[in-house]
Amino acid sequence: MKLLVLLLLAVSAWAGPAEDCWAQRKRGRLAEAGSCFQGLTRSPVPLLRAEGFWGLGRFSDANDQFRVAEKMDPKNAAVKVRWGRMFEERYQPADAAKLFEEALEIRKDYAPALFGMALVASNSFESKAVEFAGKALEADSKLVEAQELLAYLALEDSNPEKAVKEADKAIAMSPEALDAMAVRATIDWLNDQPSSEWIERILKFNPRYGKAYATAGHFFVINRRYEEGIRYYRKALELDPELWEARAELGVNLMRLGEEEEARKHLEIAYNAGYKNAATVNSLRLLDSYKNFKTYKTPTTILRLHKKEDEILAIYFQQELDRAMAAFHKKYRVKLGAPVQVEVYPDHDDFAVRTMGLPGLGALGVTFGYVVAMDSPSGRKPGSFHWASTLWHELSHVYVLAATKHRVPRWFTEGMAVHEETAVSPDWGDRLDPTVIKAIQEKKLLPVADLDRGFIRPSYPNQVVVSYFQAGKICDYIAQKWGYDRLLQMMQDYADRKATPDVIRGRLGMEPAAFDREFLAWLDGQVGASVKGFAEWSKRVRGLSELAKAKKHDEVIREGLAIRDLYPDYVEAGSVYEFLSEAYLAKGDKAGAMRQLADYSKQGGRSPATIQQLADLQIEAGMKKEAAATLERLNYIYPQDPEMHRKLGSLYLEAGNTSGAVREYRALVGMKPLDAAGAHFDLARAYRAARKNEEALEHVLLALEAAPGFKPAQKLLLELNAK
Amino acid sequence: MAVAAPLGGYLMRLLAGLMMGASLLSAATHYLTVAGLGGEPEYEQRFSGWARDLDKILKTVPDARPETLSGADATRARLEAALKRLAGEAKPDDLLVVMLIGHGTFDGMEYKLNLAGPDLTAVELASLLDRIPAKRQLVVNMTSASGASLVPLQKSDRAVITATKSGTEKNATIFARYWVEAMRDPEADTDKNEVVTALEAFRFADQKTAKFYETQKRIATEHALLEDTGKGEGVRTPSAENGQGLLASRFALLRMGAAGAAALTPEKRALQNTKEDLEERIDQLKYRKAAMATSDYRKQLNALLVELAKVQAELDK
Repeated sequence: MKLLVLLLLAVSAWAGPAEDCWAQRKRGRLAEAGSCFQGLTRSPVPLLRAEGFWGLGRFSDANDQFRVAEKMDPKNAAVKVRWGRMFEERYQPADAAKLFEEALEIRKDYAPALFGMALVASNSFESKAVEFAGKALEADSKLVEAQELLAYLALEDSNPEKAVKEADKAIAMSPEALDAMAVRATIDWLNDQPSSEWIERILKFNPRYGKAYATAGHFFVINRRYEEGIRYYRKALELDPELWEARAELGVNLMRLGEEEEARKHLEIAYNAGYKNAATVNSLRLLDSYKNFKTYKTPTTILRLHKKEDEILAIYFQQELDRAMAAFHKKYRVKLGAPVQVEVYPDHDDFAVRTMGLPGLGALGVTFGYVVAMDSPSGRKPGSFHWASTLWHELSHVYVLAATKHRVPRWFTEGMAVHEETAVSPDWGDRLDPTVIKAIQEKKLLPVADLDRGFIRPSYPNQVVVSYFQAGKICDYIAQKWGYDRLLQMMQDYADRKATPDVIRGRLGMEPAAFDREFLAWLDGQVGASVKGFAEWSKRVRGLSELAKAKKHDEVIREGLAIRDLYPDYVEAGSVYEFLSEAYLAKGDKAGAMRQLADYSKQGGRSPATIQQLADLQIEAGMKKEAAATLERLNYIYPQDPEMHRKLGSLYLEAGNTSGAVREYRALVGMKPLDAAGAHFDLARAYRAARKNEEALEHVLLALEAAPGFKPAQKLLLELNAK
Repeated sequence: MAVAAPLGGYLMRLLAGLMMGASLLSAATHYLTVAGLGGEPEYEQRFSGWARDLDKILKTVPDARPETLSGADATRARLEAALKRLAGEAKPDDLLVVMLIGHGTFDGMEYKLNLAGPDLTAVELASLLDRIPAKRQLVVNMTSASGASLVPLQKSDRAVITATKSGTEKNATIFARYWVEAMRDPEADTDKNEVVTALEAFRFADQKTAKFYETQKRIATEHALLEDTGKGEGVRTPSAENGQGLLASRFALLRMGAAGAAALTPEKRALQNTKEDLEERIDQLKYRKAAMATSDYRKQLNALLVELAKVQAELDK
């Protein structure tokens, strides 16, 4: 009988005293809320005890009571949803989602469970969030939380008009819809209004509702306005110092801007208070790992490199950083207000910590104001990315963000960055890949006015990749048709907070829909042949592979030449270029093989082994200048192969390019090769050729210190001492 | 010959020099290479290819006596016969190098080298090696699971190298590929004296193997070990601290160029003594480096190296 009473109590539990306690808290009456939750912990109903412990921050006890409640009534969807909400709050989305799903199995249209699913999807920027929130509202039209979430999601989707509408609906549903009001306040602030009536209304209701400012912090951050985001997180904490999520976010974003000391302070406070989500823990770990990095400074740059590779990467990264900044300074006509900091991570997981909680970011590099974080060439399989292209891409963001004071839509800054990559050299940047071809075939490219959605809340796998491509091509198109200066003018419009449709109308003199039509026609001229030829290419390239396996070299050449240009952008593993070169080599036609490999390289092929093979063939054919250029290109892809530096150093030395030879042999020495004596000797020779005898002597001594009997080095030592 | 700094100073160098001098005068090096059963055509080709490459290199080395068993020839009977023949032919001053390529297995108790027909256990191999009079021996077991053969094979004056750290590293290995490379790449001769020692080759192959897995972004499934005291545990990085690597640093795996031929004429003996004296003084100076001013160290190093270079030039005339 007692059990039955408890079960009945549990079913209706949430609607009762627990809700009152949470309401007290929402109104900022913390002492009253505390007493209320304390009272719940003494309830005979496990679900109420769970709510009480949760409200008091005793999550482990709350978890135990939820378990008891669930055991007593395994078919109670409300218990599962409340338990799931606690998991969701305690950054265990997988456990939360499982409980919400279980609740939905019990009650198919249970609105709180649908809302729970919406929350989980929202936290990982999944497009399903909107769908779940909509379904929750369909099931319960009075579910204010779901309506508030729709407002929040619309703003994340860069649609402030819709966000306002959704927020107003929530406010009409409840005068306590503080989170909807926070969305309204955020929109005001994003529009550079210094004050907002909405924050006044919020604070009147709850003077300690720091979450409203934290909401603003989140939106400023995802709009890449990090400094302002930080400012709002600080305000949030002034009102409610125990807003741990906001404190952790403050720490993460301070770290992004290079304010590491203060970042650590906030992250540690959050961590010690039990806020141990992945971003907090990983950021603290990353801060700890900084002792393993070395910093190189110039008046305009700060380069942070891991000590295991700093000597070699400093040579190439500093050179490219200086070159890119000089180019962008001239192109964008922007003077940066602080040095640019570039951090290069050999461990991709460390880099990934930098991008946590940000939607739609490329996986290779990320820019936070004046701070760029990126993968090291050693952080990925050699040949899988072009580090210099990534560096230029990110540095373009630095300039575009500075020029627009971070008021630029995602598509435009990404488009400019992608455009700049291929502007340096056509073989840089990403190729037309099958994902993009498929999107074009299925007419999935977005209208320019909606392109941001493709980055922030993709609706199909790889839409972010497709959106990068499309944004880049749009900028290419504008630069080609209206001139590069028009892009700069558009940038200025964005700085003035104009929306994309207005920018298109004002600068390009047409409606966005007309622009989309013209762009697609232009794009068809650019890539239409590959898009059309792709299906046939895919089919026939499999046959080509079979012919190659069977060593039918003549047939490989015939078929390879027939299909290669159906889809010339394909330079990944198993490319037609490589099949052809292998067939030519098998037939003893080195010139033929070299031609194919040269085309492969020109098209942007990045396999270090294949590029090395081309260089070797060129050396063998006496084309040393071309071989040096081939290997120089490899420096931008994978500079961590000692053999390549040795070869290129030798080519440069032979050609009388002593500065090139010195650079290459310095890189070799920097890699601390097993053959240290040989590397120092080579560098000494290069210095000697450059008439830098002091440096030559230093390195020949280092060579002989390692190998006193090294005869060529002995000879050079005698020569240098004879001077 | 590499007498790496961590393995001791000039005394080690002197000892090593004397030993090398002795071997230069009369000793031969016997090489036995075995490429075991591949199982699949790809492995068959790979294993016999490496063995063929080794054989080709060794046939160009003066005083080398190479024998290679691969493919259908790599049977237990042929291997036993080869080792028994060596037991009759080799002299105590000779060097013996046994290099095993292929698949190995370990059932938790016993390591076996996979051969065409019946396999051979590590214990059986050790017993056959023990009968060979060549006092200094090097066994390089480059098969999968070879770590399990280290203990059965270890013995005083025998350096044992295995491609894996235990019998549980069962994936096919690539250490052999870089061991072969060490024997033809001048880079392996880190002290540039035209002799590749077992230690130099081990370090070269080990580093290249590690690099292979690193650049392929694959989890390394092999971790080579070296043991040359006959009683210790195999180590990943031989050094003075762990007491491993001394024998391997003296073991001339391969002589290249002039060092391969060179018996000294009496006239050049005095110059050779001066050279050794200078090398000792350089070692002593390097030992004091940390306690010296950089400029002073550099000046003294330069002076000694110049002297050494002049003596070497005279020796080479």
